[in-house]
Formats: sequence, structure tokens, C-alpha cells
Amino acid sequence: MSLEIISIIVLFVSFFTLLLLKVPVAYSIGISTTISLLLNIDKMPGLTTIAQRMTTGIDSFALLAIPFFVLAGEIMKQGGIANRLINFAKSLVASLPGGLAYVNVLASMLFGAISGSAVAAASAIGSIMTDRMEEEGYPRALSASVNITSSTTGLLIPPSNILIVYALASGGTASVAALFIAGYLPGILLGLAIMGYVAFIAINKGYARGQRATLFEIWTYFRKAFFSLSLLIIVVGGIVAGIFTATEASVIAVLYAAILSLIYGDMKIKDMPKILLTSAKTTAVVMFLICTSMAMSWLFSFEGIPEMISSFLLDSLSNKFAIFLAINIILLIVGTFMDMTPAVLIFTPIFLPVVTTLGMDPVHFGIVIVLNLCIGICTPPVGTLLFVGSGVANVSVTKVIRSLLPFLAIMVAVLMLISFIPEISMFLPRLFGL
Amino acid sequence: MSKSEFIFNKVNKILEWFLIIIFALLVLDVLFQVFSRYLLGRSFTWTEEFARFSLIWMTIIGAAYLNAKKEHLSMDFLYEKMSISNKRKTSIFIEVCIFLFALIVMVIGGANLVYTTLHLEQLSGTLRIPLGYVYAVLPFSGFLIICFSIYHISGVCSNKSNSQL
Amino acid sequence: EKIEGPEVLYLGHTLPQTHPVHKGMLEFQKALEKKSSGSLKVKIFPDGQLGSERELLELLQIGSVAATKVSAATLSNFVPEYNVMGIPYLFRNKEHQFSVLEGSIGKSILEKGSKFWLRGLCYYDAGSRSFYTSKKAIRTPQDLKGLKIRVQNNQMAINMVNTMGGDATPLAYGELYTAIQQGVVDGAENNPPSFVSSNHYEISKYYTLDEHSSVPDVLLIGTKYWDKLSVEQRVWVQEAADESAQAQKKFWRESVEESMKVAKDWGVEIIIPEKSLFAEKSKSVVEKFVEKYPEMANIVNDIKNN
Ligand code: NA
Ligand code: NA
Repeated sequence: MSLEIISIIVLFVSFFTLLLLKVPVAYSIGISTTISLLLNIDKMPGLTTIAQRMTTGIDSFALLAIPFFVLAGEIMKQGGIANRLINFAKSLVASLPGGLAYVNVLASMLFGAISGSAVAAASAIGSIMTDRMEEEGYPRALSASVNITSSTTGLLIPPSNILIVYALASGGTASVAALFIAGYLPGILLGLAIMGYVAFIAINKGYARGQRATLFEIWTYFRKAFFSLSLLIIVVGGIVAGIFTATEASVIAVLYAAILSLIYGDMKIKDMPKILLTSAKTTAVVMFLICTSMAMSWLFSFEGIPEMISSFLLDSLSNKFAIFLAINIILLIVGTFMDMTPAVLIFTPIFLPVVTTLGMDPVHFGIVIVLNLCIGICTPPVGTLLFVGSGVANVSVTKVIRSLLPFLAIMVAVLMLISFIPEISMFLPRLFGL
Repeated sequence: MSKSEFIFNKVNKILEWFLIIIFALLVLDVLFQVFSRYLLGRSFTWTEEFARFSLIWMTIIGAAYLNAKKEHLSMDFLYEKMSISNKRKTSIFIEVCIFLFALIVMVIGGANLVYTTLHLEQLSGTLRIPLGYVYAVLPFSGFLIICFSIYHISGVCSNKSNSQL
Repeated sequence: EKIEGPEVLYLGHTLPQTHPVHKGMLEFQKALEKKSSGSLKVKIFPDGQLGSERELLELLQIGSVAATKVSAATLSNFVPEYNVMGIPYLFRNKEHQFSVLEGSIGKSILEKGSKFWLRGLCYYDAGSRSFYTSKKAIRTPQDLKGLKIRVQNNQMAINMVNTMGGDATPLAYGELYTAIQQGVVDGAENNPPSFVSSNHYEISKYYTLDEHSSVPDVLLIGTKYWDKLSVEQRVWVQEAADESAQAQKKFWRESVEESMKVAKDWGVEIIIPEKSLFAEKSKSVVEKFVEKYPEMANIVNDIKNN
């Protein structure tokens, strides 16, 4: 057996063993990378190289958007924005059959869209909506399923931290601006597909519809939510209009959310240190993962693993369709047991060269990999969103899983559409020439 | 409160304030970058480098703080099914893994990186500070992580109740 | 234990495989394998697979990568003498440039790197950098007034654009395409092959060939690796590098011609300005430089008098 093969086996076996034994993901990545690299090069250069990759891996101005969007989201959570969005969503869609379920979907989409975090959306909206839905006869597990799956749309609709991570992992072949614009239609399509399934259940089970809101009421709630919704226009509009770069947009979002929350009076200046600390912790979780993942991805390049896997896929599968499908299936499996950020960081450098060889745009692939892994965060054994969503709904994970299955099927169907119809992702970026 | 517990809490407090201050500086720095371009009509060359280096420090110090709080992302589905005594063994194994990584890569590898870049006098592009200072965060944070690991291991060993697991 | 088979020299760089400088390194690979009868192999990692230019230089010092190719601009943060190459209008023309670089002055600068564990092997032609803009044409230095021009994050480049009257805006290269397109900056500066391979020509109306600086690329080998080679092997490596440098100049010329044609066909207006106006405007940059690095005044003078 060649040294390359041995070191790959060592890498993956040690990685999964450590992962299963609850060693933190970032350390599992770092330790397995160290062991594997030391098989190849001398000790001191090897260790120093890993240390260097950990530091330089996050030495990127584009990555600053992550702490800033996390901070903006945290400020918004404190600032009473969730309630305003729910009331606005209610005035729009509550009068449809199964009205409250739509309110949940739409509010999760809006909150996810603004905050860029699915977990923030699921916890903010779920904690408010589940009780209201139960009063109208919805099982809590169903509310949780609706909430969990619709919160993933916020990862596709900009701003989105995971798309920034992908842009980094793509080695700059996909720009953050293009990815942001590309995420709109797939995110909205996913939201609509979930709503479609909700309509199907609501009509079957005869869930109540709410009162139709008058235009005046819609206007009132819109006005109250207006400044919260404006954040989307400021961030994305500012990037598209060339007022600032994607990274700078994220800091504008912080400033805007802070001013808005201070005016609303839901946040005081003295709350800031606590908000900064919470955000710094969330940032460190993601960024330290990026540190060790960048060391691992350097090891991949050094050992030529991406070329090996891509030539394996290209040689053993005859057509484009089969290869895309195979990649999607691998990612779906990976997603069940791995969290989103490390999965994007580890698998983007491996699969991106394969799909670009087959003519897929790096921006399109970014949307596909993110949507694919959105399914993963809703499934056991490792499903951050599933756990958070079940937790805030106060219902056991096992119960949620049963009602979640059809929603996951819907997500897979949307994933297939988005994988095989590039126009859904690429139409808007092309329109804006990005 | 034991002496080690007292020091542990003090160090955490300092780390918390460090993270808060550096994050606030980061926000102000990038806001300044945007506004100086529009309001003052000129760009300063140091804002980008300052932001990048601050992010490195915030992340790697933040990682040490997460170790203190045991808040790194990990997968516990197998761990949850273990017996109490296996949980105890696994907890010690986890801390030993973290300890070794921090020692070998962050302290030894990191110190060699700092030594190399300082010895060879590499300067950053615009702030003109030695790159070694930026990299110094790695052995520094590695040292903190080692201390936290020892603290956690001694906690698991001495504490016969299971609150630490 | 030692693995049997040929010795492999890992060479990492940041350029795409279509780039004329990459082709130069392929020549190096071919020549070295031939001279050593296959006992010394070169494995090239393009596209920044192993890191950015700055990171690669560190990896050479650390000893995990054997060789790299970087711009002399990046190298100047490691080996101060390379700062000289960034001086605007330092060389009168290409003949002057290469007679300096391939003569004793250039060789002694390559040698200077050994002190920093980075031994220079040869220079590659990276042409001359010129301004391109998306809205307003630059015909004289006065036209630069008020224009935000993206520059590399490097003091000399920043000083140069500011002294000429522009507003130097250091920005990450990866963000540049959208920044030009959306108007965050009004333009940038680079050589023709990079102007085209980055697709910036698609969003630029004007390319002003003022050729303000001619910073070469440098092929380097880490002394940690070099010291392990036998005397015979060192000779092979140096000869292979020298041969590749000659071949590379031809690749560069061809690439400039092709790139200019692509830009013209796209509809970019090519402006040939009075270069002396720009040179005149940027004179104080040299004075400031010599003031700051008096020890390098001699090198600057030697180059000018060459
Ligand atoms: Na979003
Ligand atoms: Na999962």
C-alpha cells in the first residue's frame, strides 16, 4: 500500500473515532490532521505547518462578515424584532386554511433571512409560535417540524454565514455577492414547497383559518415591521449598488440593528457587553472549526486527495447526472452525522473540482451543498436545528422525527430540482452580472 | 471555593473582557473603514490589517475560553448512551486529546512558528508589525488550554459526584 | 525510514495553470528532471493550493514546502532589498530591466535572501503594471484626481498612487471584481495577462498603458531544502532555473499579445499616454524611499547607472 493511501486511511479512521468519542469536532479535525501529516513530513516542519495553517486559514477580510452577522443576529434577538415579524406574517397569511402554520413558515423565513442563522430563527420563532399553534389544535410535533424545516430557508436567503464559509472554501471562485443573490430563489422555493405541504395537511385535517386582515391592518403591521425588514434591503441593496463590499455590509447590519433596538427600547447600552460576549463565543465555535479545517484541507492538497477522489468519480461513473447524484447522496449521508460548517469546509475542496470539470458553476454548487446540508441539520444523530427546534417546542426528538419525515422528503425533492435546474440558482446572479 | 477554582474564575473573567473589548474594536475599525471612505473621502491602509489580526486573536483566544466553558461543538450521541463509569473515562480521554493537541501543535508548533517569523524579521504589509506577534496568540492560547484541561481532569478525578460529566 | 525512489521537490505557487509564469515553471520542471536523469522530480501545486504568496514563503522557511514563485512585492516584506523593485519607473525599458536583473545587481539581491532562509533562483518577467478604470479615462496624471484605485496592500504602491494624485484603496484581490463592477473603487492596476485572466477587462472601459512599475516574479528555494542537496544537485537546480527564465520571457511576450487582443476585441479602449508625465509626478516616491532606507540608495543608483 502506498504512503498516500495509508495516510488517508489513518486520517479518516482517527477522525471518526475521535468524533464518536465526543472529542470536540475542531480538535478531532486537528488531531487526525496532525497524525496523518506526521506520516509524510518531518516532525517540526509538520507541526509548525499545522500551526501556520490554523492561523492563516482565518486571516481573511471576507471572514469578518461571520462575527458581524452573528452579532447583528444576537442584537435582533434581544431587540423585539421576532414579534414584529410574526404579526406582519400573520396579517398576510393567517386567513388561509391552516393559517398559523403559514405564519410560522413565513416568520421563520423572514427572521432567518434577516439574521442569517437557522438556529436563531428556529429558537426565536418556535418559542413564540408553538403555544399559539397548540391553542388552535396543531400537535406540538407538527409545529416543531414546520418551524425547523422552514428555518433552513434563512441559510439560503441572504445574508447567510454558511455561504460566506463556502465562498472561502471555494478558494474565491465563488464571490460572496454572487452567492447571496443566488440564494434568493432557492430559499423562497424551499419555503413555498414547505407551505404547499402545510396546505395539504391543513385541508386534510381541517385546521382553522384565521381572520382575514384588512388592508389597513396589513399596513399597520408592515409599518411596525418596516425597519426590521429594511435591514435586508440595506444589506443586499448596499452590496448590489456598490456602496460597500459584502464584509462591510455586515458591519452596517450591526450598526443598524443596534440603533433600531436602542430606539425600540428593547435593548440598552449596558446590555452590549453581554451581547458581544455571547456573539464572540458563537463566533469562536465557528471560526476555530475553520482554523483546524483549513489545516486539514491543506493536508488534502498536499497529498493530492481531491484529484484522487475526482478521478475516481469521473472514471467510475459514466455521466454527469450520475456523478451529481452520487455527490448529493454522499453529502446527505455526511450531513446526518456532521455539522454544516465542517462539512462545507471539508467537502467543498474535494467535490468542487469535480463538478466544475463537468461544467457546473461554483456559485450553483454552493447553493446545492448548502441546501443539501440543510437537510442534514434537521436529522439525527447530529442535527443542531432538530435539537433546538424540539427543545423550544418542548417536545421529544423522537416524536418530532415522525412528523418531520414528509418535510424532509419535500426538502430532498427541492434539492433535486435545484441540483438539476441550474437556472433557479443562476438566474438572478446573471441578471445582476455577478 | 478552592484556590484553583478561584484562579480559574479570575482567568475566565479576564478572557471575557478581552473578547468583549477586541470585538468592540473590530466593529469600530470596520465601521471606520466604511465611513472614512465616504465621509472623509479617503481610505486608511491599516484598517484591513488591524481587522484581520484582531479576528485571529479573538478566534484563538475565544477557543481557549470555549475550552474553559466546555462549549466547543461536539457529537454526543454515543456518549449519551454510555454508563457513568465509561462517561468518566471518556471525559478524561477527551481532555487528554485536547491537552496533547494544544501542547504539540499550538504550543510547540506555534512557538516554532513565532520563533521563525521573529528570527527572520518578517513584517506585516501595512502596520509593519512583526508577524511573530500575530502568531504568538497560538502558543499563548495553547498554554491556557493546557491549564484548563488539567483543571477539568482534576475535576473529574476528584469529584465523585457526576456534576462534571 | 527513507522512502525509495526519486527525490521530490514540492513547488507551490498562486497562479492558474494557463498563466505564462506557470509555463515557465513547467520548463523548470522539465529541465531539472532531464538534467538529473529523473532522480530529482518537481511536483507543482498551482492555484494557491498550498497557500497565498506570503504563506508559501513562510512554508519555505518552515521547511514543509521546497520552492515557490512569488512577486518581488510580497518578497519585500521578508527580504527588504526587494523593495527596490517596486520603485516606479526604476527601469528604462525591458532590456535595461533584464540586464540589471540577470547581471551582478540582480544576482546579489537573489543571494541576499539566504540570510532569511529564502534563496532566490531566478527572475521571471511579470511585465509592467498599468491603470485600468471603469468610468473615467486616465490620459494624464491629472485624470487620476479623485479616483479610487485599488492597489496591493503595500506601502510603496499606496504612496505611488497617492503621489500621482489618485486615492489608493487597498482591497483584497478576491473582492476586486465586484468592487469595480459595483463602483466601490473606480479602477485598479495590473499587467495585461492578469488584467485579462482576472476578467477585469469585462468591467473596465479604459486601459492606460503608463507602465508605472515593473516588479518581476522570483523563483525561490528554501535554504532548508537547498542545504540538503548535493553540490551536483544544486548545479542542476540553478541551471534548470536559468533555462526556464529564458523560456519564460517568450511565454510572457506571447501572453501579453494575446491578452491585449482579448481586451481590444472586447472593446476596452487602450490608451498610450505620455509616460514621462507620470514618471515626473511619481519622483518624490523614490526620494521618500531612499530617505527611509538609506542603505538601499546605492542599489537604486547602481540600477539607474547600469
Ligand atoms: Na439569511
Ligand atoms: Na444530521
